[in-house]
Amino acid sequence: MTPKSSRYVEWLLWLSVIVAATYVMRSSRGNIEQSHAAFVYILIVLGATAGGERWLGVFVAVLGFLAINYYFQPPFDTLTVNTPLDLLALIAFLTTALVANHLLTRARTEAERATRHAEEIEHLSAEIRRAEALREASRMKDVLLLSVSHDLRTPLTTIRALAQDIQTDGSRARTHAGVIVEQADRLGKMVADVLDLSRLRGGAFTMNTEVNTAEDLLGAAVRQFGGIADAKRIETVIDYTRPALLGTFDFVLSLRVLTNLIENALRYSPPSTAVTVSVTETGSNLSFQILDRGPGVPVSEQQQIFEPFYRPNGAPPDAGAAGLGLSIAKRLAEVQGGSVSYADRPGGGSVFTFELPAAAQELVETLT
Amino acid sequence: MVTAEAPPYTLLVIEDEIEITRAVGAALREQHPAIVEASGGKAGLDAIKSSRPDIIILDLGLPDIDGLEVCRRIRAITDAPIVVLTARHGESDTVALLNAGADDYITKPFSTQELAARVAAQLRRAATPRRAPVSMNADGLSIDLHLRTVKRGPMVIRLTPIEWEILAVLVSDPGRVFTHQQMFTAVWKRAYGDARLYLRVHVTNLRRKIERDPADPHLIITEPGVGYRFIGES
Repeated sequence: MTPKSSRYVEWLLWLSVIVAATYVMRSSRGNIEQSHAAFVYILIVLGATAGGERWLGVFVAVLGFLAINYYFQPPFDTLTVNTPLDLLALIAFLTTALVANHLLTRARTEAERATRHAEEIEHLSAEIRRAEALREASRMKDVLLLSVSHDLRTPLTTIRALAQDIQTDGSRARTHAGVIVEQADRLGKMVADVLDLSRLRGGAFTMNTEVNTAEDLLGAAVRQFGGIADAKRIETVIDYTRPALLGTFDFVLSLRVLTNLIENALRYSPPSTAVTVSVTETGSNLSFQILDRGPGVPVSEQQQIFEPFYRPNGAPPDAGAAGLGLSIAKRLAEVQGGSVSYADRPGGGSVFTFELPAAAQELVETLT
Repeated sequence: MVTAEAPPYTLLVIEDEIEITRAVGAALREQHPAIVEASGGKAGLDAIKSSRPDIIILDLGLPDIDGLEVCRRIRAITDAPIVVLTARHGESDTVALLNAGADDYITKPFSTQELAARVAAQLRRAATPRRAPVSMNADGLSIDLHLRTVKRGPMVIRLTPIEWEILAVLVSDPGRVFTHQQMFTAVWKRAYGDARLYLRVHVTNLRRKIERDPADPHLIITEPGVGYRFIGES
């Protein structure tokens, strides 16, 4: 039904209601008083206004006014008004009906306006959110471009220069080759980091969440550092008197988190100090802690360390990474229902805590 | 690596990226001058028939035939070891290829030494008859598969029957990566079920008994997202 035709139906409906009510009351005119009829008409006016529109209410009110005068006010069946009191009653009816009609219409208009405002506000805030997301994406793009232009170009420049030197004069080939391999590895790691970050943001990440042991993960992480000089600095703390700790997580992604955190601790702490990696169970989580004796993170920077491309204030620009490790670690932990957080270490240094969901207790009991 | 007396082996590299083929060649040509190159799955299968390689280096993402399919078809023709080149750690495709009969995998970008070492290990494995060693020593641990005993020095280590089974499977082919599925098929004699969970717990418990430092294992190595491998590092 079109709005126009539904409007006709509305008018017809209330017209029939008022005719029917008048007919019924007219046939029992001996038993009812003028005031009874007036109440019925007021009700009809209210109904018409609420269901239909303002002018329908006014129309019904006028019809009611005429019907009371004609049918229910002596002298009957004429529009003549006998006494001033009768006139007052009729005017009172019409006033009441019109005021009620007006109030109801206003209330409804205001309600409609409020709904419209709410919709507008909702629409506007969606716009704002979209704009913010765009701004964030564009900021990320800027930082990424900056990082790509600097962090990726540095190793590329080195590689190119050294390779060119070998091309013209092969005598330094062996020493140069070592640096080329090192810089290529650095480049490879950055590319992997940037890829991971963009895949995490785009949500294109496949997860393989399974029950794994904490020790297996920790052992695999420590092994990643096998062969480098810093490996000796890693100390592990596990309570072997307790059954193996079980968690529900993606092994490969969690390995990346733990490796990034250990790497970070090794990078930013003095070469003579140990990096301690421990795992315990706290409530319904496995809690890996990575403790170092580095400078720690100043309070002013503690909020930013998990931002992409963050670098400690005053750190040399070539600390060896693009500043993505922590932000990737945090996101990888979060997609698995875990977390990564920072705390100052008593006595100096940092404590990074990486939490993962522990396996359900019933499962632990059947397995261990 | 001492390969002075090794017979001349033929290597087949199935890889569509010419630069990667070149890198593989650079890593291996000095020890193995006979390298055959194929730029796709179909060409690779033809090359196997014509040149009968001793080892095949197979890239996971070929343009013409799916890697898994290539692997299956290779296995239908030859038992030569297959080393898969893969782009990322713990890729499910890699696991599928290992389950389908590939012998090892290496992640790009790889170091030339690592690739050469993997290839040498696979050639050694292929050259020795496929019979489980009766006993072996690794990282101060002596394992006697015949007597079913494990000792560190004079100390006898007591293993549960399942732990023994796991160790025996891994030790039966040192250096080979066993996928989770291959492990529980071998240990529990069935392919599916909860065995996967049990496997990890038992491996962890086994490490606590046989490794010097269970948090830095040197005997049973975890291949992230893939499975386990026994190496007798010291």
